Formats: sequence, C-alpha cells, structure tokens
Amino acid sequence: MTDPLVLLQILWTGAATSAIFVLLTVAFSLTQKVTGLWNFAQAGFMGIAFYAMFYVLNDLQMPLIAALAAGAVCAALAAVLTEVIGLDVLRARKSGSLMFFIFTLILAQFIIYMLTLVFGTEPQTLYKSIMSPVRIVGGIAVSNWDLTAVATAATMLTLLFFFLKTTKEGQFLVAVSDNAKLAELYGISAKRAYRVTAVIAALFICAAMYLTGTRGGVTPNSPFELVLAATIATLLGGMGRVFIGAMAAVILALIQSFSVLVISSRWQNLLLYGFLFVTITLFPRGINLPRLKPKAAASPSVTVGKPADVTQGS
Amino acid sequence: MLQQGSIPQHKGKAMQSKLITALDRRRFLQAAAAAGLSAPLAGGGAWAQSKDPLKIGVTMPLTGSQAGYGNDFVIGMRQSLKDLNDAGGVAGRPLELIVLDTQAEPPLGINAMNKLINVDKAPVILTAWSAVVKAQAPTANREKVLLLNTGANAPEIAHLGDFVYTLFPLADVDITALAKYTYEKLGKRKAAVLYINNDTGIDAAKIYKDIFEKAGGQVVAYEAYDPKATEFSGMLLKVRAANPDMVHVHGLITDVPMVIAQMRQLGLQQRISSYSAGYNQKLIDQLGPAAEDFIVTSLAPGVNDNPKVTEFLERWKKEQNRAPNGLPYIQYQYDSVLVAAQLYKHVLEKKQEPTGETMREALLAVKEFDSPMTGKTVIDGHRVNKPVFLLNVEKGQFKPLAKLD
Repeated sequence: MTDPLVLLQILWTGAATSAIFVLLTVAFSLTQKVTGLWNFAQAGFMGIAFYAMFYVLNDLQMPLIAALAAGAVCAALAAVLTEVIGLDVLRARKSGSLMFFIFTLILAQFIIYMLTLVFGTEPQTLYKSIMSPVRIVGGIAVSNWDLTAVATAATMLTLLFFFLKTTKEGQFLVAVSDNAKLAELYGISAKRAYRVTAVIAALFICAAMYLTGTRGGVTPNSPFELVLAATIATLLGGMGRVFIGAMAAVILALIQSFSVLVISSRWQNLLLYGFLFVTITLFPRGINLPRLKPKAAASPSVTVGKPADVTQGS
Repeated sequence: MLQQGSIPQHKGKAMQSKLITALDRRRFLQAAAAAGLSAPLAGGGAWAQSKDPLKIGVTMPLTGSQAGYGNDFVIGMRQSLKDLNDAGGVAGRPLELIVLDTQAEPPLGINAMNKLINVDKAPVILTAWSAVVKAQAPTANREKVLLLNTGANAPEIAHLGDFVYTLFPLADVDITALAKYTYEKLGKRKAAVLYINNDTGIDAAKIYKDIFEKAGGQVVAYEAYDPKATEFSGMLLKVRAANPDMVHVHGLITDVPMVIAQMRQLGLQQRISSYSAGYNQKLIDQLGPAAEDFIVTSLAPGVNDNPKVTEFLERWKKEQNRAPNGLPYIQYQYDSVLVAAQLYKHVLEKKQEPTGETMREALLAVKEFDSPMTGKTVIDGHRVNKPVFLLNVEKGQFKPLAKLD
C-alpha cells in the first residue's frame, strides 16, 4: 500500500471527490460570511436542485443543459424566497441567532419531507448509469467524472474569486459581510447582497448536486450528510474565510481518503466528527494560517470598516 | 374476485388473457380455501364466534432510505391479506394488517412495537431489518408477543429469545451456500470480503470468511465500510493490492452499485458476488456492462421454478405498473401473512384466546406451513431452511445459475 502509484491514485480520487464538498462548503461559507447565518436550509436547497434536475432529465426527458438550468433556477428561487419570506422577517423582528438556526433547520426538514412525499425515498441517480469512462494516465485511473468534478470546482471557484474581487456587486457582498449597517450608510443594500449571495450559493449547490447525482444514489435525506461536511470545513477554515474553507474541504476529503492506509474504512466518516469536535473545542474561530499581504487595496468607494479581503473576512 | 362484468367484450385476446389470469387467481383462492383457513369452527368460544378482525401487526420502513423495499413488502402482505379475506378469512373472521413505520431505525421499531402491543393488542407482529428485529426482541420477550422476522437475515436473530422466530432464512443459509459454491464450483481460491458496517454486513461477512477459509480458500482482504460512505477508492485500492480472484460485497442497494462502479473504474475486473439485496434490476441499470457476471443469492424460487410466482408477478405489475423491489423478499412477505393466518386458525380451533403465548404455542405445534410463494416453511428451532438459488447477470438480466439445497 506504500506503492507510489497507489498513493497517487488515492490523492487523485480523493481530490476529485472533494470537489463536491468544496462546492458545498463555498455555498455554506459564503452565506455565513455575508449574512452571518449558519443556513442549514441549504440541505433543502440541495434536495430541490437534485430533484429538479432528476425530474427534467428522467420524466421530461430533456437535455442536460435544461436540467442544470432547472436545478439552478429552482434552488435559487427557493433560496431567495427563504430570504424574502423567512429570514428578512426574522431580521426585522430582531430575532436571536437561535431562532435563525431553528428556522433554517426546520425549513430544511420541511423541504426534505415534501421531496420525500413527491419523489419517494428510493435512491435516485440523475442518469440510469453511474459508470463513467476511465482512462489510465501514468498508471492512475482517471474517470470522466473525476475530470468533470475537478474542472467544475476549479472554474466556479475562479469565477467567484473574480466576481468578489473585480465586480461592484461582489465588493458590495464583501462590504456587507464586513459591516452590514455601515455598508447601508454608504448606500449598499444589505437585502440585495443577501439575495445575490443566495443565488450564488444556489449555483454552487446545483453544481455539487449534479456531481453527487451522477456518481451514486441520492435520497431526500442525503443532503443532511453533505451539509454536515460543509459545516465542518467552514468551521475548520474559519468563519467567513470562504476560500480557506474550500481548502479545508479538500484537506478533509484527502485525510479521509488516506486514512484508509492506517485505519479501517469503516472509521472514515467518524473522522469528520472527530475533526468537528477538535475544531469546536480547540479552534472555535478556525485554524489561523499566516495572513497573506493584500497586493492591492480594495476600491475605497465600496470598502467599509476593515479592509476587505475575500479570503480572510471578518 | 373475478369481475366478468368489468371485462370489455371487444378486447379479443387481451380479454382472453385477463380471463385466464382471473381464473388462475380464482384457482388460487380456492386453494387457500382448501387449506381450511376459511372453514368455520365447530362450536368455539367467544373468540371464535366474534366477527372482529384478527390483527396482525407489521413494522416496516415506509419512509427513509429503505422505504423502497419496506413499502413493497407491505404491498406483498396486503395482496396476501386480500386473497385470504376474499377466501373468507380465518374461521369466518377477516384479517387486518396494522402497519407502522420504522424507517429501518431501531428506536422507531421499538416505538411501533409498543403501540402495536399496548394500543392495538396485536398478538403477532411481522417485522424485518436486522437492527430493528434485534431492538424489538427484548420487548417481544418481555410482553410475550410473537415476533416473526420476515426479511432480516442476521444470524443472531436465531438467539434473540423465546418469542422471536424467523420465517426468512438467516445469512448462514445463503452465505454459507454461496461461499462453498465459490470455492468448490467456481474454483476461486482467494477472496476479498467488503461489507457494510451494520448488523447485516458484520455477521454475514464473518460467515462468508469462515466458510470460505474452512473450505480451503484464503480471504486476502476483509474490509468494512461506513453505511453513509460514498467514496470507496482507498478500500478498493487495498483490495487491488491483495489481488483476490473473487470479491464478495455485502451491502445494500444504496451502496453496492457505487462500490462496484468504483471497483471497475479502478481497474478491478474480478468476479463479484453479493446476497439477495443485490437482486435488483436497478443495480444492472446503474452499472450496465459492469454488472455482467455479478452473482446474487435468492432464497425464493423464481418465475422459472414456481408458476405461482409468475402469476404473482403479473398481478403485481398489473396493479402497480412496475416490477417489485426485491421479488424474493416480497414472496416471503406474501407467505408470512399466510403463516400468521394459519397460527390464528390453530389457536381458534383450540378455542383459545389469541395471545402472543398461544400464537407461539401454535407456531411450535404446527411447525410446517403452506407457503405458496417460497415453498413449505418448516420451523426448525429458531431457524428455517430453504433452498438457495444463485443468479448471475447475463446480457443485462438476472439468469438462474444454480440451485443449492
């Protein structure tokens, strides 16, 4: 098992598999960064995205692009409606953080029950077949799914990075995440920022659920497992540090994959809970990495409070 | 019941076919009646004279990840119940199923059982899923209610107490037969055993390992995986390094296809076997050509072995517009209701009150039960023995491979 090819195979497969967790962690962490909420309702949005794609692909027999669009639109709609009908109301009432937590958790469970009612509880895959063509590259098996997963995660992360760094809308999000009230004094709508964040998170969720549903069976309950992994990575990365959270997701997945060399496979998932425990008790604000010097200051017209750094938010 | 008036006259052959099916069903109902279930009892006490339904408790996963099977189990039971009641019930009394959800979770299984005992007063409860059966067993023994396992296969079920019996052969039946067949007939000498880390997987994997090694083979990899795992590459690379010539995967329909898919993608081309949970067309659909030569066990005769199964399957497809999930399991569900009915018949004939204790006495006294879908059920202590059918995937379909007595 110390054969370099075996180690490389574990590294590659672990990295490819981590794409799902990366996408979900970014969705979760970005939402946490901008809105300050642990939005567990995202488990429900994951279910909506998956079953919308499933319905369009299998029942309507439409092409993939239509399915992806349906998944993204439905998840985004659900996320924005949650903002407008639920979270905005709670904010207006100045509800405590526990109320937000309970609301998102109950909403997720409600959506999952509804999906169960409509689609049943049998595991479903987006396509009938879960097999993906494989090629051997330097002795390592590389499947089309692996390549799709890595490419999807890399592309979406890059787009998000540039969106936050270079667009006005993106910098509004950063400003609101730093200090929503101060941002509003500068004419930035916090509500709009929350809704834009909801849409971006929905896009990431949709991409993650596409990858999940083309690799194995999904049931309405599956998203709760996924949101747990995203929560752990967000905690490990440190609250509000979106891209470090994504890195934490990759590292977690790799640790899980490599752990099989020293412990039985059955304990792999237990590792996640172990990390969660250690992080909460020892690193409640995440693991601090050396702070990178910002190359250029963000635009003063939109930066409020502390200097905005999308990788190291407040 | 045959409803001739409902058959349109202009449908020609289709009508003829329907009529034949209906007639077959009538013959089946006559057979059930001939078994004496509906015969009124001579004399009889207050219990025998009552017209109240005879209750059969059922605890199955109606929601959750196992609901695909659980709901179909209940459909199979309801078909049996309908046939029994159409044939007059037991001693002129109808039977009633009281079905509660367990989600295949032990705590919910216990709650459901408590409700069936304390509120519904059901003296016999049909249940399945190893973890649930194990959790319910102490309550069954304490409350003296007969608990009949109709689909779980953990060998430990044979040792759960005086009021827990099985109508379904435990894993030591089919896994023993499969491991022996793998060594003796397939000529495999090095096996890898991958199993889900739950009650079903742990016990069955141990049996496979013990039997295969006892036969002279070597288990070169023995790996458990978490029930919620989706990534198996590390474990499979361990298997690849061990270089077995056969891989036995003991998991559920949620994870076995993923394990096999990732196996093939990592270049492992060994022949794979599993147990009856793998006997599911969905697995073939998900794996395509990667499922070829996959071996599964079945503990019930198939359509080629028993014409009643053909009739049952046609009826199912007609009523549900689809094939059942796990046909062999459902055959057991059908028969389990007949067993419960035969227990009631015995108890009422003895002019006893149907309680868990009298139902248990009836089980031990009758011992042999007519089971049209799975072959005669003979209670042997806390076990039952049935022939094991092996099936092999050929050109995208499960085809009979061997029958092992």
